[in-house]
Amino acid sequence: MTAAIAARPASRFRVRPRPRFTELVLLAIVAVALVVGAVSLGATEQLRAATEAGKAVRRLDFLPPDPQGLLVYLLGLAAVHAGFVLAGRRTDQVLLPTVGMLGGIGLLLMQRLPQNLVVQSFGSAELGLGQLQLAWLLVALAVVGVLGLAVRSDTWLRTYKYTWAAAGIGLLLLVFVFGSEVNGARLSLSIGPVTGQPSELLKVILVVFLAAYLSENRALLAEESTRIGPVRLPPLPYLAPMVVMWAIALGIVVVQRDLGAALLFFAIFLSLLYIATGRPSYVVLGLLLFAGGAIVLYSLFGHVQARVDNWLDPWRDPQGAGFQVVQALYAFGRGGILGVGLGAGLPTIGGRLPIPAVHSDYPLAALGEELGLVGLLALLGLYLVVVSRGLRIAAASHDDFRSLLAAGLALVVGIQAFIIAAGNLKLIPLTGITLPFISYGGSSLLANAVVVGLLIALSDRGIEPPPAPRDRKRHLPRLSRLRRARVAP
Amino acid sequence: MSSAAPGGIRGLRRRRSRAIKANVFRTGVAVIAGFAVLAVGAGWWQVVEAERLATAADNPAVIAVARRALRGEIVDRNGAWLARSDRDQNGEALRRYRDDTISQVVGYASRKYGTAGLERTFNAQLLGLSGADPLGGLAGKFLPAQDRRLGLQLSLDLRLQRAAVRGLGNDIGAVVMLDPVTGEILALASTPVYDASAIADPATATRTFEALQADEDRPLLPRATLGRYVPGSVFKIVTGIAGLDTGAITPATTFQQQPAAEEDGLLVDGFRIRDGHHPMTGDTALDMAEATEVSCNIWYALAGLAIGGDRLVDEASKLGFGSAIPFDLPTAVSSVTSGDGRMPGGFSDDAELASAAFGQGETFVTPLQMALVAAAVANDGVLMRPHVVTALTGDGPGARAIGPETWRRVMSPDDARALQAAMEQAVEGDLGRLFTAGAAVPGVPTAGKSGTAELGGKGEPHSWFIGFAPVENPQVAIAVLVERGGRGGERAAPLAGALMERYFELYGTP
Repeated sequence: MTAAIAARPASRFRVRPRPRFTELVLLAIVAVALVVGAVSLGATEQLRAATEAGKAVRRLDFLPPDPQGLLVYLLGLAAVHAGFVLAGRRTDQVLLPTVGMLGGIGLLLMQRLPQNLVVQSFGSAELGLGQLQLAWLLVALAVVGVLGLAVRSDTWLRTYKYTWAAAGIGLLLLVFVFGSEVNGARLSLSIGPVTGQPSELLKVILVVFLAAYLSENRALLAEESTRIGPVRLPPLPYLAPMVVMWAIALGIVVVQRDLGAALLFFAIFLSLLYIATGRPSYVVLGLLLFAGGAIVLYSLFGHVQARVDNWLDPWRDPQGAGFQVVQALYAFGRGGILGVGLGAGLPTIGGRLPIPAVHSDYPLAALGEELGLVGLLALLGLYLVVVSRGLRIAAASHDDFRSLLAAGLALVVGIQAFIIAAGNLKLIPLTGITLPFISYGGSSLLANAVVVGLLIALSDRGIEPPPAPRDRKRHLPRLSRLRRARVAP
Repeated sequence: MSSAAPGGIRGLRRRRSRAIKANVFRTGVAVIAGFAVLAVGAGWWQVVEAERLATAADNPAVIAVARRALRGEIVDRNGAWLARSDRDQNGEALRRYRDDTISQVVGYASRKYGTAGLERTFNAQLLGLSGADPLGGLAGKFLPAQDRRLGLQLSLDLRLQRAAVRGLGNDIGAVVMLDPVTGEILALASTPVYDASAIADPATATRTFEALQADEDRPLLPRATLGRYVPGSVFKIVTGIAGLDTGAITPATTFQQQPAAEEDGLLVDGFRIRDGHHPMTGDTALDMAEATEVSCNIWYALAGLAIGGDRLVDEASKLGFGSAIPFDLPTAVSSVTSGDGRMPGGFSDDAELASAAFGQGETFVTPLQMALVAAAVANDGVLMRPHVVTALTGDGPGARAIGPETWRRVMSPDDARALQAAMEQAVEGDLGRLFTAGAAVPGVPTAGKSGTAELGGKGEPHSWFIGFAPVENPQVAIAVLVERGGRGGERAAPLAGALMERYFELYGTP
């Protein structure tokens, strides 16, 4: 992909710095909020330690647990902002601060959890949870910056859709063959010391493929239909490659027991199909398929049954299978409306966290406890901001592919946040996917950084509209017409 | 599809690109709707359910507080302490209990094994965690911490409780005594008892608890509220209530076929229902009071058939059958029938219905439930909500007195009086005395009904007695169950009489 970006001659763009006031102001607010949060976190932890030791606190020094870490993160945000200013592109100014806030909240949470929850050693250096998260956040910021600065054309995405699809499937197969098993799910792939979850990247590839395929065949999918009795189905020949791609992805995901990703893929597939065709009947059909699939999965797989049963009644086994679900609900209950305060939540039982997967699957429970309902609603609001910016970019694009791509990318974030939040809140069975930008994990942060970077790039309302897409648009229908003419008698 | 003209496709495309914006917009609305559902879900757990979750006994925050905080004191109706907390040498809270007899009511609070009994029900209040309601919590955030823990004042009388446990002796059983007019529980004994202080003390907790769990007599089971037993003839009072309230019988009802059937038993659906009182009553057709006095199975079987399965189950549910009785402690569900039969009410056939009517069907009851049956008759048909906690004491939020509360009216005062008379005859009558020897309190008109719950096979039946005294203006209602205690008149009736006598010693004879 670097080749495609580099292929554009740099001389065609004049670099003229352009101030981004909105972004600057929003980033300043984010920085103040995060610093205040960190200070309050530090003070609370001192108080808590003193209370547990049975001592009185005379003076509080308002020092965050890891001031350097937060500073480095804020500098990283500033650097990306500076890069955008210097490049002078007229791109979205809200996404970076919003995502920066979410990432910062995640960073504070990881710094505040027991650091030995995740430890990785690189040579002699041993990094704990907070430091690892910081490192990944910086890489993610770099990805956002590079994509937001450098991506000026989407040709490289739309032309090679089958290549992307193949790469995605290859990635999954790789995991299936070489991956390691965690909690009964074969999800992660280790390369040297770094472990990743390729399904995170796969969701981006899926959006690219679907956007390209649907934009090309949109008109036909929307207008034509195959009739089977009274039921109007999508034109099957045109739907086939997409369904095959989807089925393969889903099948492998099911084999890997990654229910969350399967649900996410399916939801994205349905939403993009609806946006492209505007036909609710497809969504209804899809939901029926989903219901059927869910019943089949439930009756076939023990781990699916366990998840669902656990969801219906976690109190049946509150010390065993239902432990995390129950503990998460207790955390929400303790939080109440205003929350117990940053750092004051998550009481440990015998030195153990009540929610072992709090950094990956249950960050929302921890935040709901410490920030309360008010904080939780604000957090959900931030995700809605990301979605609305993305959909706005989609609506503003004059090109089908760009519209679908931007909408798909925005929906990836929104739907993923919805699925895990609904799982945490016991509205649906819990599926092990991450809370975007907040959960611990390099793959998740990187994949979501790619999403945000692409969205920022796609939002460019520059003087020069990207020429390549228009070219494609002009000759693509001709191509397909030719193809059809050959088929038609 | 190949018929589409080239120009048509392009036209379509232009029309559609406007539509895509609308589709994006509609998708956005759907996402917002989804997030609104999340917000409602969060509000449900963090506002509506917040207090229940935040004060649940196994919530780690509650456990953490319990380690340090002293629990509130629990006292009986006369102010005698039952449970109190001190600090041990390490400054950690240590709970002590007055004696073993209250273990099944008060329960225990252990660091390792959690809580049971009233210690569990009122865990949050005793720890001072109550009042964590969303709005109160808001105000509390800005107020300095204060002592919020509450104590419990019980209606239990330690002296009666001790007498009940002592009376059960080495037998396994349960005693429930309550004031039928207020619903206040006076004694709630289950045997065997256990040493709750030893569970609360970390030094002895493991040894004690593991031994109790391994004990085949299951001392940790509070039989008075959670034990389910075949009722035998004490259930006839339920049938009587159902019959009178539905009008299926009157106090004067006699059944023609009853005297004739006494000799060889009454045949229902091929099942023979027998009686043992034939030598005493001869060919007399019995009315309700006489049938109750001699505990006539055939009369009550015929009454049950006249009432019908549907109405019997309905009337019983008014007394508390069919669902857990709302109480300060967990209660088991008493049921007239297992309920999976095809006959009305869930009976499998008339034989089961007829047997249930005199307490030998698929009927299972808790001693608390049977005490409520006696109390409802005693209180002229009005069932009071049973309660053992009469006040939450202290300065914290949620401190309050808990007064008597009418639960439901079960039957008319006239019907209740007819049953009172029948039950009095069963204790004081010439023939009744043979069945309920020792139940009558000297000098106090006593009413009651004994029960002998046959369990099939060999072994002694469960011994039952329910009753109340005095018949006019009753002060105490009682249910006694002794597992494998023999006939009702042999074990349960004398114990009930002795306990009611003890009550009048303590509170004065009317």
